[in-house]
Amino acid sequence: MNLPRLLLSTTVALALGVAVALGVHSATLLSLLTQAAIHAIFALGVGLLLRQNGMVSFGHALFFGAAGYVVAILLRVKAVPAETAMLLAVLGSTAFAFLIGLVIVRVPGIAFGMLTLAIGQMAYLGASRSRGLTGGADGISVEWPSALFGMPTATLLQPWAMLLLAWSVLVLVLLMLALLLRGHFGALTEATRDNEERARFIGIRTLLPRATVYALSAGITSLAGVLAALNTGFVSPESLHWSLSGVALMMVVVGGTRVLWGPALGAAVYFLAKDLLGDHAQHWMAIFGVALIVVIVFAPTGLSGLLLRLVRASPGGAAPRPGV
Amino acid sequence: MSDYVLQTEDVAVHYGGVRAVDGVEITLQRGQIRGLIGPNGSGKSTVIDAITGRRRLTRGKVLLRGEDVNAMGIVERRRRGLSRSFQRTSIFGQMPVRKQVELASSMMGSADPGADADEVLRELSLDTRGATIAADLGYGEQRRLDLAIALAGRPAVLLLDEPMAGLSMRESLDLARHLKALTARREVSVLLVEHDMDVVFGISDVVTVFELGRVIAAGTPAEVRANARVREAYLGSAA
Amino acid sequence: MLIHLFNGLVHGTLLIVMCSGLALIYGLRRVVNFAHGSLYMLGAYLGYSIALHSNFWVALLVAPALMALLGALLDRWGFRLLQDRDPLSVVLVTFGLLLVIEDFVQTVWGKSNLSIATPATLAFPVDLLGTQVPAYRLAVIALGAAVALGLTLWLRFSRAGLYVRAASTDPVTTAMQGVNTDALSAFVVGLGTALAGLAGVVAAPFLSLSPSMSSDVIIDSFIVVVVGGLGSLAGAFVAAMLLGLLQAFGAVWLPEASVLLPFMLMVGVLLWKPEGFAGSRT
Repeated sequence: MNLPRLLLSTTVALALGVAVALGVHSATLLSLLTQAAIHAIFALGVGLLLRQNGMVSFGHALFFGAAGYVVAILLRVKAVPAETAMLLAVLGSTAFAFLIGLVIVRVPGIAFGMLTLAIGQMAYLGASRSRGLTGGADGISVEWPSALFGMPTATLLQPWAMLLLAWSVLVLVLLMLALLLRGHFGALTEATRDNEERARFIGIRTLLPRATVYALSAGITSLAGVLAALNTGFVSPESLHWSLSGVALMMVVVGGTRVLWGPALGAAVYFLAKDLLGDHAQHWMAIFGVALIVVIVFAPTGLSGLLLRLVRASPGGAAPRPGV
Repeated sequence: MSDYVLQTEDVAVHYGGVRAVDGVEITLQRGQIRGLIGPNGSGKSTVIDAITGRRRLTRGKVLLRGEDVNAMGIVERRRRGLSRSFQRTSIFGQMPVRKQVELASSMMGSADPGADADEVLRELSLDTRGATIAADLGYGEQRRLDLAIALAGRPAVLLLDEPMAGLSMRESLDLARHLKALTARREVSVLLVEHDMDVVFGISDVVTVFELGRVIAAGTPAEVRANARVREAYLGSAA
Repeated sequence: MLIHLFNGLVHGTLLIVMCSGLALIYGLRRVVNFAHGSLYMLGAYLGYSIALHSNFWVALLVAPALMALLGALLDRWGFRLLQDRDPLSVVLVTFGLLLVIEDFVQTVWGKSNLSIATPATLAFPVDLLGTQVPAYRLAVIALGAAVALGLTLWLRFSRAGLYVRAASTDPVTTAMQGVNTDALSAFVVGLGTALAGLAGVVAAPFLSLSPSMSSDVIIDSFIVVVVGGLGSLAGAFVAAMLLGLLQAFGAVWLPEASVLLPFMLMVGVLLWKPEGFAGSRT
């Protein structure tokens, strides 16, 4: 997608967000959409790692939960203003991820996945067992101040405002990624993903780009974590559990990684389909599990891949090109 | 010595109890094509691995434009103008053809990677396949892509490991002609490992013959063909 | 002191039985079976239902047999069809399977805790070096030892065991030698799931059955298999015992450290020597 089209799509998407946020009056629906948007951002982080590095993380909930905890703890000890706390949570997660990334991205194959699983679980166990600051297994509430970014927090927490915020962040993250990945860095990381040895033979120092992608994916996920802390006003060890990472991964795979917005589609499907199921919602995880299996076996490019093929097959379809 | 664009001094590579390569001395002048021939397992690919930094030297030196590159890794050597292609096709499977060649070109420091990529693809008859994902190419096309990645950015020294393998007669001749043209302009110097004797003797300025990890003869094609030891060990009466 | 040692041995034994299944499946199919914990759970619940209508001993035989059948089907229609895909895809499929099995168990048996009574023949205390221990748990340890010994001997000395060892090292050549690797895989995966189910049934009398059973053990089993060295049965045995003992003693003396230590070991092993996992087939 060229730049003008990209900016146009972004503007349209943001406008759509405004329309939905102001047009929908059901607080339940707005809340559901907000959750979907937040998880879409989470999935986007996991998906970025898979798409650009070819790596599967079973432990990204670490960044999701940790960001929430950082904000909660900083607010509790009143160390910094809330806005700074949010920024620190995201930047801190990114920096931390970059540092451990330098070590762990060298681990190949499924071993990397198991490693992230182990690290994530350690965080979970640490949080659920330590009393005091992290509140142990019960979690802690996030004490947001009365004003945030110059606005009254009460207004910000209105369902329409939260949706607008979450959706806008999602769209802007997508824009940022599209801009970042269309250039040299994108090509660099894709080459490293496809053939690490040949990448070095064409002069790419492969460690730094991969660690950067890992850090970026962590940063995006931590952003979702901060938004979740705002949305629910609460953080608990469950936000660090590997099953949450697993769900995010499922969203990524079901949505597909051929295009940047694939994981977001997966998140949307997860939440909206769950809502539509109504009474059968208790079986939702099993249904989603079946969906995952079906997608992997029959449609490996995910739902986004299927959608794209349908569009191309139609008379007005564009020439096949991978990308945004 | 300073005249040589590439030189190896008494290079030995031993691993796991195997003396893959021993006492190898190779020189390459600017704009020259040197063919490396020898039976399978005689160490030719290992020499390329050693020169590019993929394998550690047990002994000896590799000099790139007079500079000792022993301490340098693969990436640094590449950035100093050393480029190679692979015997077993090594490409970027999920990327489009043009994008990967352009990337290779830009990593080589090319001023206009896009134009350079287009030119290289044209030379290797891949210009119509620019948007195709590498994994969707035919076998011969993938071999040519491997070469295109190596050629991108006009590296000073090109090490080609069996580039004709998998190419049709016509494609081999085209490639041979193209290499000759490149070196005639003195832009590129080539070390060529190849089994196809006609090609090697056809385009090489000089030839080095390997056997069991050692150099047994070196010189012009005519000299090498006339060398009794080489005939006995390798060429037989067919030469 | 002795009681902790004893409990550690019991826990370690359960892990041996369960993790040997996981190791076998990985060794042959290069699949990290995320669903393994749920198979353990399913075995336990099946055992419960069977025991309800007959007795524990019948359950001990039938439940693993049913699980073996399930395993063979899983191999035939799951792992075999996906064997040319990248390993990550198969792992995610097992993850999906985990969700399906967990939901199935919850739907059929409900969410509340269930239990099987200890079989009457073993419901008495035994005096072990001055401490009273339940005879049943002693029997569990004996069973674990028997399984470990049996598997080792089978792999070492039987024809099938030879084929398994060969196929684990080099599946292509083994197939070329005329060994029916598909039948072998179905057998081994069936055996692996049967072992998971067996561990479940055996554990049922002293660990109550709940839907969270599978997530409780899955992480432990990964730790065992990784630290023990992937695909290595002997390694899994040792690691399982160590983990069991560590958790038994640690729970009393160093709760925080004993919980985190296994993970640190796992992280250490993965950083130092990931080759066991690194898709050596590719």
